[in-house]
Amino acid sequence: MNNVVLQTQGLTKRYGSLIAVNDLTLEVYEGEVFGFLGPNGAGKTTSINMMCGLLQPDAGGVLLHGQPISAGDKEARRKVGICPQEIVLWERLTCLEQLQFVGQMYGMERRTARQRSEKLLEELDLAEKRDQLASKLSGGMQRRLNLALALVHDPDIVVLDEPEAGLDPQSRVKVRGYIQSLARAKTVILTTHNMDEAERLADRVAIIDHGQLLVLDTPEALKGRLGEGDVLEISLNGQAERAEEASQALAREGIPVALDAAHTSLTVRALNAANLLRPILEVLQAAGLEPGEVRLRANTLEDVFLQLTGRKLRE
Amino acid sequence: MKFLTVFLKTCREMSRDWLVVSLSVVFAPFFVFLYWIWFSGGSTAYNVLVINNDTGAALANGAALAAGEEAIQAIQGVHYADGKPLLKVVRSTDRTEVDRILRERGAAAFVVIPEDFSSTIKSLQEGNRMVTAQIVFGGDLTNPYYTLGSIMALTALEGYVQKATGQQPLIQYIEQPLGAYAARTEFEIYVPGVIVFAVIMLIFLAAMTVAREVETGTLRRLRITPMTSFDLLGGISAALVLVGVASVVLTFVTAVALGFRSQGPMWVAMLVGAVTSLSIIGMGMVVACFSRSVSQAFVIANFPLGLLMFFTGAIFPVPQPTLFRLGAHEVGLFDLLPPTHAVVALNKVLTLGVGLEGVLYELTALVILSVGYFALGCWLFQRMHMR
Repeated sequence: MNNVVLQTQGLTKRYGSLIAVNDLTLEVYEGEVFGFLGPNGAGKTTSINMMCGLLQPDAGGVLLHGQPISAGDKEARRKVGICPQEIVLWERLTCLEQLQFVGQMYGMERRTARQRSEKLLEELDLAEKRDQLASKLSGGMQRRLNLALALVHDPDIVVLDEPEAGLDPQSRVKVRGYIQSLARAKTVILTTHNMDEAERLADRVAIIDHGQLLVLDTPEALKGRLGEGDVLEISLNGQAERAEEASQALAREGIPVALDAAHTSLTVRALNAANLLRPILEVLQAAGLEPGEVRLRANTLEDVFLQLTGRKLRE
Repeated sequence: MKFLTVFLKTCREMSRDWLVVSLSVVFAPFFVFLYWIWFSGGSTAYNVLVINNDTGAALANGAALAAGEEAIQAIQGVHYADGKPLLKVVRSTDRTEVDRILRERGAAAFVVIPEDFSSTIKSLQEGNRMVTAQIVFGGDLTNPYYTLGSIMALTALEGYVQKATGQQPLIQYIEQPLGAYAARTEFEIYVPGVIVFAVIMLIFLAAMTVAREVETGTLRRLRITPMTSFDLLGGISAALVLVGVASVVLTFVTAVALGFRSQGPMWVAMLVGAVTSLSIIGMGMVVACFSRSVSQAFVIANFPLGLLMFFTGAIFPVPQPTLFRLGAHEVGLFDLLPPTHAVVALNKVLTLGVGLEGVLYELTALVILSVGYFALGCWLFQRMHMR
């Protein structure tokens, strides 16, 4: 049985007429990497702020280790570490100084904060830069330091907001490996737009939109919900005016097909997608369409995400 | 404890931002130096334009009397207690030229000595009290120097006439200055104001230091710690007080090196400066509450700066409506502005030679205002930036 470390019950937050978070109920288990996904403006940050005791909900509540927390709860703050998406550093402090400073602001003893800071610098390959001002670090180093600042007080729960954003491949691998190493010892809540990142790292994924929880399950289970099997994508070579007609023809043949908004490609999801290729091409030829590039790939979390939240652009 | 951590962190940051901190520290000493140059190390000498039309007269013993010239010497002889001239005579013969110079504020006043000045003096010396001569004077009445320059010149002329004619004044007026004011140079009189001015400028540094935490987002990182507004603002304020005290001490050292003499104990004046800086920093914290960026803090700080400079007596005295009485003290609207008390206290100590007991009221007021503004800053900061 999984231990619930964080639980939200009917969490709701309104800003005037806008309902930012609407009746959010979920559980986060101890030691898991919990992916928290949603389009921009879906209510992720508001939810996270309420979960961490930074924002008072209008309705509902949050339980941390079974204890209710409220906005401004100092104990809750000590148990949670947050790594914001943007790099937030004190430019005129060295790496070690700012880690130690933040540790002490969480109430750690000076010596303990220093030891913990040096350990983190070591783990994130920043030991050589310990006495260098943050403003002199490269972008990747600054992002790693940003991550270290969320961990310096040794929290039980770590919230990582887009931790891989803006990283070069080497740093991305390093950070990803580090997050994986955190799992089990700590509970990691990961908010991201990078579906690949979520799929690789998260044990379970919650997708929210318009403040509501849409799904919550393991990545594999979510992909299974969308339809087992593969995805066949067929480019229509810019013949958008005839795409609708072809789509209807395929549907009449019993082939499950989706047409994208710009009418430039057809997507077929099926267990035997490869076997369907021949009949699909025949239908398209009969409709007078010359298919372009044909791609066969596995179902991804991004497919699930787009299926649930739509393709319409958000703020 | 967190207060101390923020204090040390702010000190570290300031030590690496040496340009801004250095400018804040040397601002007042630099102004003291400028004032010293401005007043030529002492006091202002007021230019008086003199048109001497006096044609002279021959005395009974055959000697020539040039009373106009002697009167000019009398004007030139007016000096400060330290011997430096108070009036400088600029001779002219052309009234049009005189008007032009006055319009351009090249002189404080003009005096025209008439043709019959010597003959009138001669008649008066001979006992003829029925004669009179007309000395015309004037100037730009909107020029702040006019009143002082013209009165001092006419007083010198009056003194010369009395001396030359043997006329005793009908009534003698004896001036009894308060404290050591009479022995002070103008440079010394202005030093307390410059010190207060320097402390007032701390409002920018205070507001901008806090606003930087907001602008760079580091405040959001601190918000998720168990830190309070008091920890943050207290720690930053304590570090800024060091800058304020350093500036005040350096200002005094500069002033003393340039000839400034304090009539009272210097440490009391420094204490007043330090407490004043604390209160100004408190006001800076209030400004920071309304600022989301450094540039916004700079702009907003200009509003209280104007009030602090022009309604506290730091630059010139202002009348203020009395709100209520507190024992022997009238409490006015501008008493809510800390420099009002600082100006009075520094003047008492530095110019009038008063000790600590003489400025206890002002010091108490400064402490109360410091605590008040700091508490207001913490409360506003909690509401506006920590929620």
